[in-house]
Amino acid sequence: MNAAQRQPAEAKFEPLLQFEMEMGTFLSDWHHCDQLSNFMARMISHNRTDPVRHSNFFSSALNELLEVSFRGGSPEGRIGCSVFRQGPKERVRLSFPCSPTQRRFFGEAVARTHKGDAYARYLDAISTDLAPSREIVLLDLAINFDAEIRLEEDDPPSISIIVDLPLEGIVS
Amino acid sequence: MSTAVLAAPFQAVFDANSQEFSLAGVIRPRSVDEIAYSITEFRRAIDEARGVLYINVKRLAQMNNTAFHAFSRVVLDACRTRSDIRFVVVTSSVVGWTERMFHHLGKIEPQITVEVYDSKFYPGQSFVEDTSFIPILRAQTKMTWRHERTILPRHGMRPGIAMADICCGIGDFAVLAQKEFQPARIVALDHSKPSLAYARKVAAEFGVTGIEYTYGDASEMLLEDNQFDFVTCRHSLQVFNQPELLLKELYRIVKPGGRVYITNEKNSHCLGEPRAQSIQWTYNELARLLSHFEMDVELGPKSRRYLADAGFDDILVESFMITNLDGDPQDFADVIAGWEKMFAAMAARHGEAPKFIDRFRQGFRDHIFAALHPKGYAGWPIWAASGRKPL
Ligand SMILES: C[S@@+](CC[C@H](N)C(=O)[O-])C[C@H]1O[C@@H](n2cnc3c(N)ncnc32)[C@H](O)[C@@H]1O
Repeated sequence: MNAAQRQPAEAKFEPLLQFEMEMGTFLSDWHHCDQLSNFMARMISHNRTDPVRHSNFFSSALNELLEVSFRGGSPEGRIGCSVFRQGPKERVRLSFPCSPTQRRFFGEAVARTHKGDAYARYLDAISTDLAPSREIVLLDLAINFDAEIRLEEDDPPSISIIVDLPLEGIVS
Repeated sequence: MSTAVLAAPFQAVFDANSQEFSLAGVIRPRSVDEIAYSITEFRRAIDEARGVLYINVKRLAQMNNTAFHAFSRVVLDACRTRSDIRFVVVTSSVVGWTERMFHHLGKIEPQITVEVYDSKFYPGQSFVEDTSFIPILRAQTKMTWRHERTILPRHGMRPGIAMADICCGIGDFAVLAQKEFQPARIVALDHSKPSLAYARKVAAEFGVTGIEYTYGDASEMLLEDNQFDFVTCRHSLQVFNQPELLLKELYRIVKPGGRVYITNEKNSHCLGEPRAQSIQWTYNELARLLSHFEMDVELGPKSRRYLADAGFDDILVESFMITNLDGDPQDFADVIAGWEKMFAAMAARHGEAPKFIDRFRQGFRDHIFAALHPKGYAGWPIWAASGRKPL
């Protein structure tokens, strides 16, 4: 994971942990989302002010992201997830292969998290949608975890979602 | 760290008597179908409920958006068809995201409100979580440690173990235990934010790393089952109004074969010479006063029963007396001076007359007098007990 070195803007983020696996293997069991998010959350939280609660919070957020890639990803290629830290923030960078349609969809969903009406959309989605869309999941991260989300266009079919989570400040 | 509970099951339970539907554990379904049964139960609970339905999510450790959405839908739909019902979501300040997430439902339907149960959850809380308590705890641990460092190994403390100090207060004990016994892991939990902040500061100043200080309610912990070899809970069953709940949790987090170690007092047995009578009177009154705050500072000798009732076996009980002769008598005097201030404030809060408070204070002063008197003797007895969780 060399993104931190490649991009000067990210230089301040220090790498903590990463995993990579075949997307097919990842998609073979839904519980991978839960297991990976808990495991990574514990590993990176041990030196946070309140490791137990930081880990709980982080696991919630990471699990949603992994679920998004589980539901929207395609089986060929690899999934990679890296966690970086800068002061009170963690950055998650999740890369996985997906179809062009999904790419577009993610682009729009991420853009909506930055709009002024994000909260109204979120409430509207909770109160009217029959099932949660992936859009709500990203809105949830932005609203309930104060996450900043952006997308990086990798070489197709891969896509990278980058999420900054200022959890230390929320937890302690 | 253990990863054994990754697929922890969740519980969804309705208690018709209290009209409370509780969700606990980890709820991360792939689709709503996986939780269809619980959703049906939830609908049924709402159908049965009259007036207010409580939705208890105090111990909901994880819930994904799929589950949140599914349960929310049921509540929101009910609000639209039943104007006669209100929903109170009971969250905790420990699991921060539940408070945030459920709060939105109230924005959509005014029939839904969110309560944070642990903002005021036991009668002595405001006193025990106050910063003025910090110096008292410091001085107390300094004195008890002299005894406990030799007592602890008899109860299961040894190097390399995973231990938790529940209701750790300002964390001195965790630091001392870390230095003396080098456990592999220490988690230290308390519900007093000022005490925890102090604990972290002290640990940092002493260059102690690796103690995981965490904010939590000892009667509803986020910690997983069967994690620790040794769990300590010192001077705290006696300040919380439901000691059996704490014990249940201590039992839950200790490994089978591991031990839970508790210390408690019997305040009416504090003693001193000279001025024994005045001292005795005050400590008798103290036990009575604190019972109004639902604190049982006479709990020490009841430890055996509490441990047995909680399911422990191989129970060991011993007692020791902190005295003015243990070290510097001034340390003893400082603790008592702290007690005088704190307990006089509690007496005033309870509405005792000024005359009573004067006499009440006098007993503490006489205890200090005995402690500092060149021929005096002052004592504070403590019961240390432990039990093993059966294999
Ligand atoms: C008398 S102090 C003892 C502190 C420490 N064990 C010591 O010996 O110095 C009691 C502690 O229990 C904590 N406490 C009481 N009930 C609690 C609960 N339900 N959850 C977490 N902490 C609790 C209080 O915040 C306080 O720090």
